[in-house]
Amino acid sequence: MDFRLTEEQEFFKKTVADTIDRMVVPKAQEIDEKDEFPWELWKEFTKLGYVGLRYPEEIGGLNADKIMCMTFYEEIARGSVGFAQSVIMNILMGTYFLYRFGSKEIKERCLYPAIRGEKIATMCFTEDQSGSDLGATRTTAVRDGDGWRINGTKMWITNGPICDFATVLATTDPSKGLKGLNFFLVEKGTPGFASGQIIHKIGCRGTVTGELVFDNVWVPYENFLGAELGKGVFYVSDILDEVRLMTGAMALGIAKGAYNEGIEFARKRVAFGKPIGSFQLIREKFAEMDALMNAARLMVYYGAWLLESGMDARVLAAEAKMYATEVCVKVVDEVTRIYGANAFAYEYTPQRYFRDARFLLYGGGTQEVLRDFIGRTILGKL
Amino acid sequence: MNILIFIKQVADTEARIIIKGDQKSLEIENKYNMNFFDEFAVEEAIRIKEKNKDTQITVCTIGSQKAVEALRTAIAMGADRAFLLDGSKAAANDPLSISRILAAFAKKEGFDMILCGRQAIDDESANVGVMASELLGIPHVSAILKMEVVDGNTVKVENEIEGGRGIFEVKLPALFTTQKGLNEPRVPLITGVMKAMKASIPVIDPATLDIPQETLAAGASKITILSYESPQERPPVKIVEGETPEEKVKNLVKALKEDAKVL
Repeated sequence: MDFRLTEEQEFFKKTVADTIDRMVVPKAQEIDEKDEFPWELWKEFTKLGYVGLRYPEEIGGLNADKIMCMTFYEEIARGSVGFAQSVIMNILMGTYFLYRFGSKEIKERCLYPAIRGEKIATMCFTEDQSGSDLGATRTTAVRDGDGWRINGTKMWITNGPICDFATVLATTDPSKGLKGLNFFLVEKGTPGFASGQIIHKIGCRGTVTGELVFDNVWVPYENFLGAELGKGVFYVSDILDEVRLMTGAMALGIAKGAYNEGIEFARKRVAFGKPIGSFQLIREKFAEMDALMNAARLMVYYGAWLLESGMDARVLAAEAKMYATEVCVKVVDEVTRIYGANAFAYEYTPQRYFRDARFLLYGGGTQEVLRDFIGRTILGKL
Repeated sequence: MNILIFIKQVADTEARIIIKGDQKSLEIENKYNMNFFDEFAVEEAIRIKEKNKDTQITVCTIGSQKAVEALRTAIAMGADRAFLLDGSKAAANDPLSISRILAAFAKKEGFDMILCGRQAIDDESANVGVMASELLGIPHVSAILKMEVVDGNTVKVENEIEGGRGIFEVKLPALFTTQKGLNEPRVPLITGVMKAMKASIPVIDPATLDIPQETLAAGASKITILSYESPQERPPVKIVEGETPEEKVKNLVKALKEDAKVL
């Protein structure tokens, strides 16, 4: 067993960390306070080319392996999870179906500009009555002439209110449940496609999250993103492990950011004439946090290795997401305790990590749904 | 134009540094970067190349295998190639010995211009660039803040001098050390990062360069480190007491005169 990163991967990790330290970390507090999409940072950052991370070089991507992708997700979340969510939506979920199923014209019109950061992508699963329960999707897509007529409302859409295009999950046959689900591309400016209410979140601020409304939206047939009707849910499974590991990697990033600041604080803050890091109860917190983070990191990167090797990562990806996000919540909580009352002040950073960590508990499958899936898979059909 | 850049990998400014028990060596946390002032050298070379495509940028450093990371950073920014001069093969490691190796490498590779940071932020000696130029018998200007390539043979540079600026026209080949303010070093594009990841970086044994071998041997260093000392701890903050602001100011002036003896 060899757990080392290659020299090249080490270099990639260091360069990404330096880039995040230089461009994102200094703006993180401001992004959180303003809770507005950081357009200027988006332009500067996407110019560097990271959005093409996981796509082939021929289309302007980098063909990065899954270990490198996780490294990137972890580092950008360490900088600012509000910003990270928007960038990762363009890198992964928002462009995946276009890359896999989009026509040449769709790729040229949407995918390539999204990889260059010139267009903002999103993916719409969630509705007011469905999230993990995809079978309850009520948005419909019905054949109409040479295209599809889409009706419905999506909620909790990352980048939704500012997106240039959306990959939309809709049912083409409600009687078929999961087997009636399919994906469609809807572009900004299409009549009937509008953004509704913006959700004001307690964390991950800076990412614009909200409602998207599809009121009799007509799109041409080629906007159906799939090889075969009724396979939408299978296509989701193809990307789900990566999404769950990505969420775990983001959790590691938030935890690391908080933990690093906790170390600085414990070294500098003096109480009873000594740095508080010299007290055993504070040291114990670091021992606990470090052990938890190491365990979570091993799970996330082992999952990435499984994916990269083409092996079955379903259970491990779900476990890694479940465990890493709980570790993140625990670590940010401990850091707030190390900061004492200062953690309760907006002027210090722990409160931001504390709020941000919560969202990862729900994204990529709630802990409850994941536990059920893991247990069901282990025990088999009874 | 052939531009050669000397860089150094140094401890990150936030790395923990502990003086070892012998007081002559340091234990440094594993956080290293390219020297802050060298980044301006790399950036300036890239800007020259952007204006004149027929430019080759070569970067080199003396150090351990770990220093390859700093060389890759330079390639990620836009340098064309890099060489590691194996520091473990030279026992002498004072600034003069380092300058000899770099100068010998420069002579072997050939160059029109050499750039390097005005000093390394770890030992702060600010010797190497200047010594290398002397060993090569070429002109140098230190701590430049502006550079303009007039033609293939001449460069116009500016640096800060006491109370003003010096403006120089320099015939190439020449060496310039770079100062903060010269430019804004770029964040590498991901395409540069990928290129740097794949780049093959040759390792050169200094013994294979044209240098009198005795000058690299142990004991050849003309500077010996006697000991490292930690900075003195800052004295505790003293709050100046007083009933009124006037009285506080009076007491402050008194303390500055009598205790601190700075007035």
